Parts: sequence; C-alpha cells; structure tokens
Amino acid sequence: MSDVNSSGLDLVPTSRYDAAAKAVVASIRGEIDLHNSPELRGVLLELLAKHEPKRLILNLAQVPYMDSSAIAVLVEALQRIRKIGGRIFLTDLQPRVKGLLEIARLDSIFVVAKDENEALSKQ
Amino acid sequence: MNPSRRPSSTLPPPPPGVDVTIESDPANIAAVRRAVEDLGRTAGLDERAVADLGLCVNEALANVIRHAYGGAAGRPIQIRAHWRDDALVVTIRDWGNGVNPASLPPKPYDPLEPGGLGLICLQKLLTEVAYVPQDNGMLLVMTQRRKSQSRPPHRPHGGDGGRNAPERGNE
Repeated sequence: MSDVNSSGLDLVPTSRYDAAAKAVVASIRGEIDLHNSPELRGVLLELLAKHEPKRLILNLAQVPYMDSSAIAVLVEALQRIRKIGGRIFLTDLQPRVKGLLEIARLDSIFVVAKDENEALSKQ
Repeated sequence: MNPSRRPSSTLPPPPPGVDVTIESDPANIAAVRRAVEDLGRTAGLDERAVADLGLCVNEALANVIRHAYGGAAGRPIQIRAHWRDDALVVTIRDWGNGVNPASLPPKPYDPLEPGGLGLICLQKLLTEVAYVPQDNGMLLVMTQRRKSQSRPPHRPHGGDGGRNAPERGNE
C-alpha cells in the first residue's frame, strides 16, 4: 500500500492508493447528512479523478449514520467509477447504514465487504 | 391559588416533548434528529423504531430545505414532537411553496437515479405519515407507535419489498 494521505478533513481523515491493486481505500468518519454530504462528494470525486482506480474501498466503520443525501453521493461516485470499469466496495457497515442501503436497494449494487482486506481480495 | 406558590411536588411533570423552530439550514438537521431520537428512547420506543423515526425526521427536514424552500437559508421550520397514547407524533411545519409530495405524479424508484429515497423512508418506516396543506405552507404529521409490532416488519428483500409501489418525485 502506498500514498497514505491525511486529507485534513474530519469526514475523510485518511485515504491511500494501492497501485498494484489499482485501489483507493478511504476511511470515512462521522454522521453524514445534507450538511456535510457535499464535502464527502468533493473528496470522493477528487480521489476518483486523481487515481482512476478500479476499486474504491470505503471503510464505514466510523459512520454510525447517513441519510439519503449521502446515498446520493455514493451513487454519483458509483456512476463515475463505472465509466472507467471500476467498482465501489463498502466495508464495516454499521446497522443504520446497512439498513438504509437495503431500503435504497443498493446493498446488492455496491459490493459490501466485511473489511478492507476482504474488499481488496474479493474478485 | 397562584400556581407559582404551589409546592413543586404537587405540580404535574411537564409533558415530555420537543418544540423548536429552526432556520432552514442543513447544519440544523442533526440536532433536531437527535432530540427526537432522545425523546423516543426515553419514552420506550425500541431502538429500531427510534432509528427509523430519526431518519424520517432528517429526510423530512431536508425535503423542506431543498424543495419547499428551494434551498433558501433563513426560513423557519417548526418541529414539535410529543406523545399521544402509545405513539410519538412529530409535526413539521414550513411556510414554503406548499407542494404536497403525496400529490406529485408517481415516479418509479430507480436506485441509480437521484431523488425519491427520502419519501420512501417516510412511507416505509413510519406507522403513519400525512401531509396537511396549510394556507401558507405545509404541515407534515409523522407518527411512530411505541409497540413496534403494530406495524409490519421492514423486509427489504421479502416479497417485492414495495419495489413496485409507485413513488413520488420529491426526495
């Protein structure tokens, strides 16, 4: 793993790029709603533009809550990465986040993984 | 008798509730959501019902800010929450465009297209939801019963999970 970056943002405190796996791994932290989802959008779209990864792995272990505006950001990122043949992996889902993904019928559209290692090794 | 001179021990406790007016700023959503969630917990809603109600309060406030007020900041939103029998009733009053989301043309929900998820949450996660048009805005009444078994369990993958139900255009 290389390029471990501290973003300086509270919402996405760290991200790193694994060149061999063509994967970006980003940790997200905090509750996400209409107030801060634009910040998440900016970070994710910037990571996608910078690295053009085949995998965007989002560790949501520290995200106890998100709303539909956060879901919209994830979907927009998914649309972007699909254009370059990539996928989004969501790991370490908290119950409320998992429930919202189910309601949104996105739990089978994103790749849900137990943790970052599983997301990196999953075919 | 002057109520202020009565021994405090004889006064009935104030009914628990939330009564607050906020400005239409997304930064205010989380505090209101948490206040309603706390009220639900203290009066016996199970954690699942609390989470569902909190999400719906969030989505309803976001809809007011984004749609009723068109993203304008500084407009009033009044939120009241109180217990009525075995239900927590939350009302959200705005003075926006008065559009009733329930009257919008049905639009099939596409998970990969923006919009619609907020209203789906309200429809699926609450015991009751009603939009009451006002002369100068809208009143949304959301009800969550204490006994979670009084509403059908949420089964996102059971049957069609409401997948074929028409949804509305607002988010």
